Amino acid sequence: MTVPSASRAQLGAGGWARRALAVSAGKAARRGTRRLGQGNGTTVPGSVTLAIDPSALAGLVAEIPRGAVLVTGSNGKGTTCRMLAEIMRASGLHPVVNAEGANQRTGLATTMVARAALTGHLPPDSGAIGLFEVDEGSFPEVVRQVSRPKAVVFTNLFRDQLDRYLEPAYIRALIEQAMQTLPGQTALVLNADDPRVAFVAPETTNPRLYFGVEDPGLCRAGADPTSDFPRCPRCAGELTYTRVYYAHLGHWACRDCGMARPRPQVRLTKADLTGAYSSHLLIATPATESALEIPLPGLYNAYNALAAVAAASQCDLPEQSLPAIEQTATAFFRMEKVRVAGHDVYLALAKNANGYTEVLRAVLSDRQPKHMLLGLGDFPGKQPDTSWIWDVDFAPLNGLIPAPVVSGNRAADLAVRLKYAGWAGPGHDGGMAIEPDPVRAFQAALARTPAGQPMWVVSTSGVLWELRRWLAHLGYVRELWREQTGAGTWQA
Amino acid sequence: MRIAVCCLYPDIMSTYGDRGNLETVLRRCEWRNIAVDVTELQLGDRLMPDAADVIMIGGGGESQQHLVAADLCKIKGEAIREAVARGAAALAVGAGYELFGRFCQPERGAELRGVGLFDAWTIRENAVLSGHYGTISDAHSDRVIGELVVRWRDTLLVGFENHGGGTYLGAAAQPLGQVVSGRGNNGDGTEGVILGNAVGTYLRGPCLPKNPALADFLIGAAVSRRYGAADLPPLADDLEEAARAAAMRRAQEAARTARAKLRRSALSRAGLAERRRISARRRPAGADAVKRSGNARSGGSR
Repeated sequence: MTVPSASRAQLGAGGWARRALAVSAGKAARRGTRRLGQGNGTTVPGSVTLAIDPSALAGLVAEIPRGAVLVTGSNGKGTTCRMLAEIMRASGLHPVVNAEGANQRTGLATTMVARAALTGHLPPDSGAIGLFEVDEGSFPEVVRQVSRPKAVVFTNLFRDQLDRYLEPAYIRALIEQAMQTLPGQTALVLNADDPRVAFVAPETTNPRLYFGVEDPGLCRAGADPTSDFPRCPRCAGELTYTRVYYAHLGHWACRDCGMARPRPQVRLTKADLTGAYSSHLLIATPATESALEIPLPGLYNAYNALAAVAAASQCDLPEQSLPAIEQTATAFFRMEKVRVAGHDVYLALAKNANGYTEVLRAVLSDRQPKHMLLGLGDFPGKQPDTSWIWDVDFAPLNGLIPAPVVSGNRAADLAVRLKYAGWAGPGHDGGMAIEPDPVRAFQAALARTPAGQPMWVVSTSGVLWELRRWLAHLGYVRELWREQTGAGTWQA
Repeated sequence: MRIAVCCLYPDIMSTYGDRGNLETVLRRCEWRNIAVDVTELQLGDRLMPDAADVIMIGGGGESQQHLVAADLCKIKGEAIREAVARGAAALAVGAGYELFGRFCQPERGAELRGVGLFDAWTIRENAVLSGHYGTISDAHSDRVIGELVVRWRDTLLVGFENHGGGTYLGAAAQPLGQVVSGRGNNGDGTEGVILGNAVGTYLRGPCLPKNPALADFLIGAAVSRRYGAADLPPLADDLEEAARAAAMRRAQEAARTARAKLRRSALSRAGLAERRRISARRRPAGADAVKRSGNARSGGSR
């Protein structure tokens, strides 16, 4: 463990005084934001710390004795991290995890500040290992701070919030450039089924571990309407698929240059995904094959579990620890269960076309009608574009969500979308109720749900945040920061 | 009744909800008992001018434009011009609109020749795929992203624009409409282009669901091309109208915010000039220079 001592040597006495000051100021900011109830304080403390000592994040991360694993991609970062954290804990490690969504530079700095002592150092803990979810757009600046990641997990790359992330090709180029700066020993854990991910940064010689789905029973009959049809990563030729799992993920090959999906070392060989609440998976690694029951539904969560197992395998975690993945708690907004007035209510975040489609497919995989509140919101000035809702595959789900309540500041757009998906028509609303206010919509949806029956809320984040604040106010859920203190290894 | 819709490169040129335009045409025809044959044309496929009553092409990034430009020009261009000359309707959105003009200049490589249907051309100073953007914020600063409201005939069209290029119309071209809010073609107050029944526009969101009048214009043109006249029965568009109203409110809100920002910066510039004058009278030259640079910084950051 020479990394910490080396980094200690680089800073002079003045540097350490500044680091300690930066950390205490960050901690004070953290207490302050909580006491005032200003947001959840996941980024402000980090910003304060970095303003005083811009090298604080890099310095603190370098002190983690077992290095850090970074998880990036469009969808599934947070869940993959939570699953991997369980496996790490079962292996006797102490993962240092950033709060879900606090996945840019300031969020990571907040995590490290919470962990550090007032001296500006991490407390000695030989089992500590970093496990960071990294926003795909912030990957380059985070890589500059985390000097020697043990592994980088790249889950997938979907078209996501075009107004913020622009084209997938742009994000891919950004991530690729950053990957070229990684040291040679950093392992890349990559999704073989995603042609945008599998051959990222091809000229690097870093060790690569691929994961992919092999169960033929899971593939679709033809192309998925939610695919955005990426082209060959090498020659921009047309890709053909022998199997499509969802969107553009599957067994692909280029018609022109012959480049094809690499053979994965970590494979989902069999899966039962018909449950609305959990799934059974059979995952093979080079060393072993494990039957796992994960407490999350749907193919996208099977991919998350696969990514977590692959990363665990890459980090040489003992295979007996893999079943710990079954203990993964559902975090806020990821099929989070809340008991309200005799109903089990599930809160599910869906922030882009593929996320929205896969969440609905997962919940409705048993083809049983469900009571639901569907939300669509934007962030004026920041992320004003919701046109992706037209890429959500609503039409085949017609009839499975009788009498949906539609909410959010873009509820009107969602209602039009559902009308053109065949859920309503001119002059009839198909039993749909439109209520932009999330709390009133929630009450309406609950009133439409028969006693004792479960209800789902599937929405973009704004509606969910507002509902969560209200549910916390009523005492149905804990405030977010308490939730995170429990979930991570944070110290006050 | 039966009309034929031709979608160009639906796999490649369909960014963010562009398929909503097709769905809108399909449903609005279905609700009026008009059958629709949809043909999807890929790279290499030819377009039959008589078998295309509505031609649709969506948006895409610069890499997609590079991919289809040559095919569009050489294999489909003439047939598209011919179909439109014979009354076919067309909807070209975003990058598709740019490619239906005479040329568009990408950030990388030589300019791309367009179909030449519209007397229009697009110039792009920078584009998002270039390596010289270190961060997303840099890449954003060169794009027009926001609400767009356009006066077209006796109605307003609402939508969202997100483009890096500016489109300029030749003397013979007629803009689709006048910008009420947003930027449109290039900031000169015009948005889009219309030639016969062919429409090019930067309106997205997608464009047709929230603008049923424009959707019905295209459908009506297709029906009259086939049957000589079109008498489309009106549809109950209450949900669409509600979404339009909400979009209009958003655009007003955005315009108000932008104006307030402008006013604040104008005020701060005026205040800065005033402060400078006062301090110039009070202080010796050296100290004034220091103070001035300090003021300029704080004023500029607002």
